[in-house]
Amino acid sequence: MIERLGGDFGAVLLVLGLPVLLGGLAACWPPRRSWPIVSFSLLPLLALAWLAHLVLAQGGQTWHIELGSLTLQWRANGLTLLLLLLTQVITLSSAAYAPAYLLEEIGEEGKQLWLWPLQGVLTTSLSLIWLAGDLLTLYIGLELMGLAAVGLMLLPGRVDALAAGMRYLLLALVGSLAFLLGVALLLGAWGRLDLTGLALAAEPGMVLWVAVALLSAGLLLKAAAFPLHAWLAPVHASAWTPVSALHASLVVKGSFFIALQLWLVLVPEARVAAWLVGGLGAAAVVWGGLLAWRAAKLKDVVAWSTVSQLGYLLLGFSLLIGTTPQVAEVAWEGTWLQLAAHSLAKAGMFLATGNLIYSTGESHVSGLAGASRRMPLSLLSFGIAAISLIGLPPSAGFTAKWLLLHASLEAGYWLWMAALALGTLLSAAYIFRVFRYSFVEDAEPLDYRGVPWSMELCALMLALASLLLGLVAEWPLMLLRAAGGGA
Amino acid sequence: MPPLLDALLALIMVALAALALLDRQLVRACAWFVVFAVSVALTWWSMGFAWLALLELLLGALLTGAFLFHALDVKPWAGVPQGRLARWRDPVPLTWRRGLLRLLPALAVLAMLGMALANLADAPGPLRAGGLGLIGLGLWAFALHRHLLRRLLAFNVIGTGIFLILMGLVGERHPAAGHGLVVTGLLVALLGTALGALLIRRLSALEVRSAHGAAGAERGGA
Amino acid sequence: MSQAWLPLATLATSLLVVPLIFALPERAWRARTALNLGAAMIKVVLVALMVWGLYQGESYRFSFTVVRDVTFLLQVDALGLMFAGLSSLLWLATTVYAIGYLEDSPNRKRFFGFFSLCVASTVGIALAGNLFTFLLFYELLTLSTYPLVVHRGHTKALNAGAIYLRYTLTGGLVLLLGVVALHVMVGDVSFGEREMLADLGPEAHGLLTVLFLIMLLGLGVKAALVPLHGWLPRAMVAPAPVSALLHAVAVVKAGAFGIVRLVYDVYGIGLTYQLGLLTLLAVIATVTILYGSMRALAQHELKPRLAFSTVSQVSYIVLGISLFGPFGTIAGLVHLMHQGLMKVTLFYCAGNYAEELGVHRIDQLNGAGRRMPLTSIAFTVGALGMIGLPPVAGFISKWYLGMGAVQANMPWVILVLVASSLLNAAYFLPILYRLWFRPGPAHGIGEWPEERHLGRFETSGWLLWPAVATALFSIMAGLLAGLPFSPLDLATFVTAEEYTP
Repeated sequence: MIERLGGDFGAVLLVLGLPVLLGGLAACWPPRRSWPIVSFSLLPLLALAWLAHLVLAQGGQTWHIELGSLTLQWRANGLTLLLLLLTQVITLSSAAYAPAYLLEEIGEEGKQLWLWPLQGVLTTSLSLIWLAGDLLTLYIGLELMGLAAVGLMLLPGRVDALAAGMRYLLLALVGSLAFLLGVALLLGAWGRLDLTGLALAAEPGMVLWVAVALLSAGLLLKAAAFPLHAWLAPVHASAWTPVSALHASLVVKGSFFIALQLWLVLVPEARVAAWLVGGLGAAAVVWGGLLAWRAAKLKDVVAWSTVSQLGYLLLGFSLLIGTTPQVAEVAWEGTWLQLAAHSLAKAGMFLATGNLIYSTGESHVSGLAGASRRMPLSLLSFGIAAISLIGLPPSAGFTAKWLLLHASLEAGYWLWMAALALGTLLSAAYIFRVFRYSFVEDAEPLDYRGVPWSMELCALMLALASLLLGLVAEWPLMLLRAAGGGA
Repeated sequence: MPPLLDALLALIMVALAALALLDRQLVRACAWFVVFAVSVALTWWSMGFAWLALLELLLGALLTGAFLFHALDVKPWAGVPQGRLARWRDPVPLTWRRGLLRLLPALAVLAMLGMALANLADAPGPLRAGGLGLIGLGLWAFALHRHLLRRLLAFNVIGTGIFLILMGLVGERHPAAGHGLVVTGLLVALLGTALGALLIRRLSALEVRSAHGAAGAERGGA
Repeated sequence: MSQAWLPLATLATSLLVVPLIFALPERAWRARTALNLGAAMIKVVLVALMVWGLYQGESYRFSFTVVRDVTFLLQVDALGLMFAGLSSLLWLATTVYAIGYLEDSPNRKRFFGFFSLCVASTVGIALAGNLFTFLLFYELLTLSTYPLVVHRGHTKALNAGAIYLRYTLTGGLVLLLGVVALHVMVGDVSFGEREMLADLGPEAHGLLTVLFLIMLLGLGVKAALVPLHGWLPRAMVAPAPVSALLHAVAVVKAGAFGIVRLVYDVYGIGLTYQLGLLTLLAVIATVTILYGSMRALAQHELKPRLAFSTVSQVSYIVLGISLFGPFGTIAGLVHLMHQGLMKVTLFYCAGNYAEELGVHRIDQLNGAGRRMPLTSIAFTVGALGMIGLPPVAGFISKWYLGMGAVQANMPWVILVLVASSLLNAAYFLPILYRLWFRPGPAHGIGEWPEERHLGRFETSGWLLWPAVATALFSIMAGLLAGLPFSPLDLATFVTAEEYTP
């Protein structure tokens, strides 16, 4: 089957296969340092470069993979490339962060070896989701991603981690059942699973509505969208730092990506329903911000801020669906830029938070009192990532917010502007609450542990990437436009 | 395929599922679940999906059953344990309001699903009704039970109901796509159950240890 | 001919210093000082180069696209150069002062890192070529000043920092909304492309007025226009060099400069006049001037009095802008420079009294002129300038304001000027009287609260010379106003551009 697909399919297979392969290798020969991870991770990046070369030279690509009488459809366009790159960069950083972290912070407890293959599976499943062009592939990718994520969350092996992991597992399973039911209805009604075919065949009606409702409910549960977000913070509170970074920055985005994709294909004119989702997003922005503001633990602050930031993405639904092409065009870029900005910033922030907890030995926000006296690099990384989360210039978060504001204004959604504004203020409130503690002078001096430089560097690099992406945002957006990734 | 047989099979499945979900004793409930899985395999066989029947037998009955019993720490050679997992009641007493609050989404899903199925063109059969019944039962159990193992059972029952509806809808026209989805679903269900079962084992072991630790500390303090 | 590197290099001198300072260890005192002073001097030279080039008719531009239709644009014009010149000059002075002021205090690395970032944002604001770039540095300024305001780390400082952020971040957000809305309406407007808004026609006037008010609200927070001034007096808890910089060039002036840009380079003075917004500005400025002076009169401590005086003085700039006509414009622009020079002098002196003598309250200043003559002379120069006495620079501002009021046919403004000058005199002259004519500890009556002997002179040289230098500059700006390259000359240059279509 591969012969008929031509040589270029090799690039796709490499992009998908290499992470699992490297994960397996790392399980056999666990890396003790960061540099072997970085150098081996160049391989999937090279494969991605090959794929990018193909896509940029020949435009968007589609592959039909025939397995007996079953046909799968995969495709690659500018958006795919952008998301693949994001996935690989973040996985690379979190993997490079891991050896020192495991060695210093975790020690011998827990099942360290499983980290590597599970990370590999997670990367592959995410890549599969970005590449998928039909519902079966999406389903497979979604399930693989969910299970790998649950597995990663369970690794610490303590009671709280296990309890939170169990809850997450049940929710993920319920989410996938809802997804499967929706897919079953679509397949029953129109007899096809490929997205391009469904876009043409699907007709509005009861079946379509129920199917979309079920699909969205399942996906939004997995994406921790507003009323379904309660599971998020407990899961992060006990997880390992590099796992939290991966989860908050990529896994929740996978579900969001699928949901948005399906809405655009199935119900591109559903203005009112999309407006409702946008309303949920606005509520998420506010509520998540409030929760983060009130959180006592550092990791909870970061975790709840994910809920708030995902709200911005949900606003994208209402700006993309049922609006004029001009609005949709701006919102399209704004949404993906926001996704990239949040992924980089959140990953950087989680790693920085892990470093702060590591160096101060305190998991509470108030434990940071006086931390800035030493001006640890982690605090700087935290701050840089925070700039992007708040959406202050020149970060990517700011540029994305600019585009989203632009789109809301053009669409006449005043309420969304208010939500974006309120979200900015709330995120400033919870971030500067952390910093306020760090500037306290009359605190008792803490014992600082020196953070290994590989951990510092990973956090700083991700944070800087999220900051500088704001100024060079034209580059990823050009990719989005050039290779047929349009809405 | 005579509709009478279908109806009979559907009835059996729903009844077995109800037994598996309602039995107060967990070991018996798991045993009922294995029987239920066998009946599902029979149904697949009667619908003409031999491969699915085989898979269901292997994954659904054998492996899932094995994991469930593993979670309960039941060993084939040691008989039924008398541990704290054997009998189990919900720690959180279920008030009417809480129960209703949990049931409402389940009911909404069922109602939506019913409407969507009614709107589909083809004729409904007894198996589809059975599938709906399974989903309803499973959702009900998932909403009201708190014990992790019971929720896993409920999850498996819902999954089976969805598979039945799916194959009933598309089995004849697009067998390949349907098979693909169901096989993936079965695998996921198995993996999920396995992960859940291992977790339950680990959690109860940790709880026992911490209870012992607390008791020991108390003794030491006294 | 366009040279992109010069504005970029000017920005980079202070921006690149930031990571270097953070990389240096806390105790590397000499390296940090050398780095700071070197960068500050290079910046002064670069700005001087650009001023020279501008007079030769060169243009400097640097731009790239950030996202669709949004460009990052650095552009040098006379107005921007005025501000850049002010900030680079005062950065040099304040760096010297801060090195002396913070000697042996903790967290100097953090302080100087954010201090450089603060100056980088100020220069960015000066050189920004469109509203997007302006906004970018405007917010960066907020971020970089927060650690400076809370530098002391005690509860009062932390609370002041929280209030500061509450005001400025909200202001920045409001400004962002306005800028985005304007962008949706007309696209990317570079400063100086006034005809773009004027060409929209009368049907857009309602919306333009609303947008102007929104952006004025956003800028007014930093410019400390009443009733948005609440953060300024509280931010006094910051170390003296920070207060000096905050009041003279950085934050307050950035707000005022933004209003100048908005009126002259985005809307254009003609359109603003047409929309009737100048009268509104004049009223706001009048209220702020009088209110600030009254509050200053009621303060018993030196720094809060100076702070409220800033509230009042910065609004002279706004008042000048609101007078339609070249003289008003010149007055507003020239005061942008003059107020910076004079206010920074006053704050240095206040810091010197606090450091050398431990004096914070005004009634403790009796006879300080004898103990610290140079500082007190500098303070006197600054205070007389604020009142508007010749030959100090402040006189020029008030003179042109008066002429502008006549030209704009708003004679009531002269009344405001007279009233405010009287108020200025009322709150500054008693201080001067105490400094020079009341006997105090230096005459053997009582004791200074906490006297230290910091240097060979009346105080440490690092603290003394910047104050003396800025005081000299204030006098020179007044005496030599007629010469080329003086603030007045630059302001006239800008005004000529503005009023010749």
